[in-house]
Amino acid sequence: MRIYALALLLITLLAVAEEAVAKPISYVGGTMVMQENDETGNTLSVDYTVTPNYAVGFFAKQEEGGSKNMLTVGPQLNTLVKRWNLPVGQGNIFNMTGIGESTLDGKTRPSAWTGMLADYETRRIFTSYELRLMDAQNMDSYVRQRARAGVAPYLANYDDLNTFLMLQVDDHPDKDHTIVVTPLVRFFYHTALAEAGYSSDHQAMFNWILQF
Amino acid sequence: MRKLLMTAMLLIAMTSAAQAETIIASVNGLVCAFCATSIEKTFKKQPAVDQVKVDLDTKLVTISTKDGQTIDDKTITSLITDAGYSVTNIKRQK
Repeated sequence: MRIYALALLLITLLAVAEEAVAKPISYVGGTMVMQENDETGNTLSVDYTVTPNYAVGFFAKQEEGGSKNMLTVGPQLNTLVKRWNLPVGQGNIFNMTGIGESTLDGKTRPSAWTGMLADYETRRIFTSYELRLMDAQNMDSYVRQRARAGVAPYLANYDDLNTFLMLQVDDHPDKDHTIVVTPLVRFFYHTALAEAGYSSDHQAMFNWILQF
Repeated sequence: MRKLLMTAMLLIAMTSAAQAETIIASVNGLVCAFCATSIEKTFKKQPAVDQVKVDLDTKLVTISTKDGQTIDDKTITSLITDAGYSVTNIKRQK
């Protein structure tokens, strides 16, 4: 119950929150705070990278849409399944799995979630695909997909402001709008990343990540 | 004259021993500036490191050590691997 209260407080303070805006593993000893606010709800995650292949953290998501207003919180393990470091690009496959509890209409049930994220990026292009499964015992369950493709309008170096123009397509059969398309812009500079967009179902999107 | 020569040699030897080193590592997977900050943060935690420079154009990480200090190739490779990248080559300059 204490973890629930903490999650609620964090979400309230941060005005809401993500899943996998960027890579769910940073560097050994690094902490990453990610927040995503979009048409699916608000997500917050805080991850600490323990080894090059594992990060542990805390995940909280407030689902929105229709009559649903469910809060899910719990610890999460992020695993780098495979990485390809190439001369001009990098490809990754990650798994994100957690267990916790979900609360809907005053009822709390155990819940579990897992997801796979595959991405490939160069300095010019970015592509990713994410599959996410969630189950809250006798309360809610879903399978969702997300694909992203983006291009950098200019090649920025390490100390420059980096920009990507992206298109995000979400498939969530459990919601009123099954397919949602969101054009967005991503900016990042050193350890800070921000994204803003507007979806085809008329919802504003704002995500941010801080790495320290 | 002999004393002068010996002093000069000693000074040269001391200067050489106290010299900083520049290490240049070629790195694969270095494409995202946001992710590459991990390299800078990882190396700045090392007491021997004075400065780190990441260049996405050339895929090079340049590490300047403090005077009289160095980092061996094995440690450099390990730190860059921990940050999520692969080292392909390491060169050193005094």
